[in-house]
Amino acid sequence: MDGPHRVHRDRVDRRAGAAGIGSGAPAGILTVILAGTAVAHRVAPSPPIPVLEATHLPPLLTAAGERVELRYDVFCAEAGAEPDGPCRASGSVFVRPGTTGPFRRLALREERGASEGRFATLVPDSIAHAESGFTYYAVLEAATGTITLPDGGAAAPQRSLPLGTPVRVALGAHEFGRTARASERVAEAAWGSGPGEAGLEQGRNLTPIGGASFDVSGDGTVHVLDEANRRVLRWRRGSRSADAAVPLAINGTLADMALGADGTIHVLETTDGGRETQLLRTFDASGAARGVATIAGRASQVRIGADGAPLTLQQPSGQWMRAAAQDGRALAPAAQSRRATAARPLASGHEVVVLRKGPEIRVSLSGPAGARRSWLITSATPVAEVQLAEVSAGRLVVVARLYTDTEDEFVTLTLGPDGLERKLALDSADWAETAPLSRFRLRGSSLYQLGSTPAGLFVDRFDLEVS
Amino acid sequence: MSAPRSFVAGLVAAFALAAAGTAGAYHTNFVASRCNSNPPTAISHITRDASTTAALRARWEGYQWAGGCWNDNDVDDSPGDPPGVAGTGGEGGDCSGFTFKVWRESASTSDGGYYEWHPLRFVHGPYTAADFKAGVGAPNATMSKADTSRMDALASTDHIGMIYARNADGSDLIIEAKGEAYGTNLWTRTYRGSSSYGGVRRLGWASVQPN
Repeated sequence: MDGPHRVHRDRVDRRAGAAGIGSGAPAGILTVILAGTAVAHRVAPSPPIPVLEATHLPPLLTAAGERVELRYDVFCAEAGAEPDGPCRASGSVFVRPGTTGPFRRLALREERGASEGRFATLVPDSIAHAESGFTYYAVLEAATGTITLPDGGAAAPQRSLPLGTPVRVALGAHEFGRTARASERVAEAAWGSGPGEAGLEQGRNLTPIGGASFDVSGDGTVHVLDEANRRVLRWRRGSRSADAAVPLAINGTLADMALGADGTIHVLETTDGGRETQLLRTFDASGAARGVATIAGRASQVRIGADGAPLTLQQPSGQWMRAAAQDGRALAPAAQSRRATAARPLASGHEVVVLRKGPEIRVSLSGPAGARRSWLITSATPVAEVQLAEVSAGRLVVVARLYTDTEDEFVTLTLGPDGLERKLALDSADWAETAPLSRFRLRGSSLYQLGSTPAGLFVDRFDLEVS
Repeated sequence: MSAPRSFVAGLVAAFALAAAGTAGAYHTNFVASRCNSNPPTAISHITRDASTTAALRARWEGYQWAGGCWNDNDVDDSPGDPPGVAGTGGEGGDCSGFTFKVWRESASTSDGGYYEWHPLRFVHGPYTAADFKAGVGAPNATMSKADTSRMDALASTDHIGMIYARNADGSDLIIEAKGEAYGTNLWTRTYRGSSSYGGVRRLGWASVQPN
């Protein structure tokens, strides 16, 4: 947040003599004027750029007998033209049953009355309800260019899996105000920039942002990304105050983080001010930079995959992409797109797919041996986001936020083969904004929550009693 | 102190003082050199598609507190402005100014009509994020967050962002002018679930895309 002016002010030498100041001042002022002029030159007109963007919400999990319609929106405008009408576009979807074989082309029709998903096509039942689901990609053409969704096209198409015969869980209407107490507060820090404090990024027109993300290592050490102070704070097990601060060369900006098994720190920057240059920075446990990868698409999360490689979640495709090869080398964005998958590979060897659809949360879990189980959770209280869906001792743990216009809480659901085994309601504790999907981590049977108040941030541990 | 050393010290001091002075009047002069005060064009209707495209045009442009003027070269032309200072004259809207312009509103709070403001027209509009959250003004109304759709907004007393798409996990892709360090762009956010945010709708969207 500090501009160059502050740096220059700090360099004032208070021992300077009057004579020196008298002779140096004009030169200094001239330097600043020239510098200002140089900066002003940067705003010389540069050519406008056409608009071309497309979006699609993938039906990641398809219920039996469900009519499957694929819908897309395309937005375009010639450079400098006012966008007064709809984008003139057309396109096709290429779809096939399962994951191999030729794709069949389906033309997209335009529905002018649709407020969302103006370009649509119906997937034939023989494909939509194939035993192993279906895969597809779209090619959309507008006056300003052609766009393929998802980026990987035929090499890494979207995948929709059959929900099969899910275990049904009906949550009913949520009763707010009956939240669980934490088993233990494992970390806390006041807002600030001193030792053991966590920084708060705050402007006059900005929601407070602090403690952007966190992770917990295998030995229970908590790591919080203190992006405002450009560092990671660490709390060893049993220590309520931070006992180490590791400086990191990051921009921050609501960054997410994930810890490798060897202490490697992966930080997903959401912006560095450039066009399409989201970065994944990797540091060793001491904070020394080990590499940087340019991320394909628009990523909101970084997590560690089954083989230890960092994975990023692209939105709105919902695809998980490897950011690095097996040997640790960063992959180019095109290579990331070609390796995209709808399922998130978990460290446990399972693969999980999540879809919120209206009042439902659909989850599919594939085991290391390939067996698949699914759950269909319905809620009479609106569902906001699913923050976490991971495995603990063979059970699926889902954390989702339920909301009304005046209240919100997280619910933690422990799901077994016969349905809901345990439900915990948790205070949202979200005074400060964090990276969007980084408020929870699951380690063993412990669920950790990153929360905040006007006084500072904290991490609470909840024992899920999964055995 | 030797003459060369004192000369350098004086130079540095003057450099610092002059630079500090420019903090109050940021030297990119983007607004002064690029923006205009042309009147808006009254238009017959607004569509969610056209407003979405207008919003997407501002991607990768800057952020300026109390600002409202940007070009469409996909670069923040005023990076590093001191945050929260209205007079720096940098590129970009702030969150409420960006929403006002994308929603094609009138400078008069009693006028619910449709007005196209060129990106390079410097205008913030009469509403703060808190005003939008409260549904202040003829064109704006509060609504249930669960009923929102594309180009409706989620607003708190500090911030407002417009909905671009809902992600598979239930989070939203929001298009917003986020802050000086962020600029204007599309990001995944969880505003919908936060009880500090409410739903807001621009009234009068055309229900059918005109030819």
